[in-house]
Amino acid sequence: MTRRRRRWRHGLLLTLAAIYSVFPIYFITVQSLKTAQEDVFGSPWYVARPSFENYTELFEGGEARVRGYVIVPRVPFLQWVGNSLSVLLLTLGLTLVAGVLAAYALGRLQPPGWWWWRRVLFATYVIPHTILFIPIYQVVIALGLDNEHLALVLIYSTMALPFCVWILSAFYRHLPREIEDSALIEGATPATAFVRIMLPMSRNVLVAAGLFTIGTVGNDFMLASIFLLDPEKQTVAAGLGVMDVSLAELLAVAGVNLAAIPVALVCAAFARDYVRGLTAAMVEGA
Amino acid sequence: MSAPRVVGGRSPVVAYALMAPALVLVLGVLAYPIAWEAWISLTNFSSRAEGGPVFVGLANYRNMVREAIFWRGVGITVAYFAITTIAKLGLGVAMALLLAKPSRGRALVFLAVFLPWAYPGGVTVIAWYWMLNPPLITSYSVLAGNLKYAVDGWLGGGAYAFASVVLFNIWRGGSFTAIFLLAGLNAIPTELFEFAELETRSPWQRFCRVTLPLLKPYMALAVFLSFTTAFADLANVWMLTGGRIIFPVLGTYAYWLGIRSGQFAEAAAYSLSLVPLLVAALVVLFRWFDPRPEEAA
Repeated sequence: MTRRRRRWRHGLLLTLAAIYSVFPIYFITVQSLKTAQEDVFGSPWYVARPSFENYTELFEGGEARVRGYVIVPRVPFLQWVGNSLSVLLLTLGLTLVAGVLAAYALGRLQPPGWWWWRRVLFATYVIPHTILFIPIYQVVIALGLDNEHLALVLIYSTMALPFCVWILSAFYRHLPREIEDSALIEGATPATAFVRIMLPMSRNVLVAAGLFTIGTVGNDFMLASIFLLDPEKQTVAAGLGVMDVSLAELLAVAGVNLAAIPVALVCAAFARDYVRGLTAAMVEGA
Repeated sequence: MSAPRVVGGRSPVVAYALMAPALVLVLGVLAYPIAWEAWISLTNFSSRAEGGPVFVGLANYRNMVREAIFWRGVGITVAYFAITTIAKLGLGVAMALLLAKPSRGRALVFLAVFLPWAYPGGVTVIAWYWMLNPPLITSYSVLAGNLKYAVDGWLGGGAYAFASVVLFNIWRGGSFTAIFLLAGLNAIPTELFEFAELETRSPWQRFCRVTLPLLKPYMALAVFLSFTTAFADLANVWMLTGGRIIFPVLGTYAYWLGIRSGQFAEAAAYSLSLVPLLVAALVVLFRWFDPRPEEAA
């Protein structure tokens, strides 16, 4: 009896956690599917007659148009999606390559002072980039990356790297040394031993680092809208982020939603490996 | 110094070479901006001043400490950090424990809990904005408006805006913390929990005496990871208050000073004002989640 009741309570709490987590996303999606009329007279909780106007609007392209009393700005949405994708992939590539190299050095080779290097690198995570953006802009201009995707790629990488290096180096540090040594005895070079044996073993940790990077990129719209001003070069976040907080907002919701769904699906597909990766990095202490 | 244990007889040079890309990237992008910020905070640089920046010593800091708004900002920032951190840890631990127990539907709930963090912040922040401050005459605008006036009337102006930023931060960050602590729970050997089952009398006692202490390093790490959002949750404060500074979180206020008023020097001073606090917190947290191993290489 009590056991049954406990199971019920557990199920109830799980349901609550799920509703609490999903509700805001559900809510805004509902609003983005409403016609103006239903927005005013309908119920906030659901949509009776869904209209995909906000979504189809994104693909019209071309010039600014008038819809009702609202001027709908020009939205080269597909181009923005392409830009976002290239920024995301470049950031992922750069972060993971630089992260793995550094993590191997810090976790396995452990040169003198590695302990402090690891901490210094991790401590940079608390530096808020948004506050530093004036001098960062100076750096970007000095590098000639003004209005270039590479500027965002560099900045995002510096935001994601501290955490990625931290978990990857924790994993390599705790990986039994014999695994690598046996490969070396077989005559493999350290590089092949790493690529063929250690790298595959750290797959889940790499997934964790990768998803963290995706989360970092996906969360930003401030930096994107500061550094990318040319509409042709903007990412989804930058393009929609600079739109006025006004009537057009639901268009922004539709846009980010559309761009977010594939990201959320990728995250969902790898969610389990993400946890496994974090766990693998955390065994024997953080 | 004893020779470092090196795999395959490599020298530290290789290690430093491998570390170089990450270090150059991170320090390269950040070193100059931080130095610039520190230097500018010692000058009179502003969009109004004639000519280049002139060194004025600690004048900006001295003026800052005399401003009432600075201390209000410090108070709000610390309160914001404390409230969100405690809530995120509480929620995170609760949801992690919930998800750690095998049950039906767990996989689905796990994905749901993962979603607030995985879903791009740009859309979820607008979602919260629409929920709490409906910008149009929607069917629930009156309701939300009344709620806002009730809260502001009860706790003073800006309370509602503060609450909405806090709620959003908790919602998004709590999701990350929950998943993170779930991973932490998985990393703790199950035998420890089995022992605890035998050795303790009540679930509550087990939680306080065993689970919490074991989770402590992971919790410290989670707190560390939520630092930036507390200090400079710019984007969210911006979005959720419609770009108005109703309550000054230090980072947001600094941004405001720099961008809106062109007072770059003052802005830099405000930005850097929390550094001592941040460093102190880092020292404590590092001790908790990253204790020095006895036999460092």
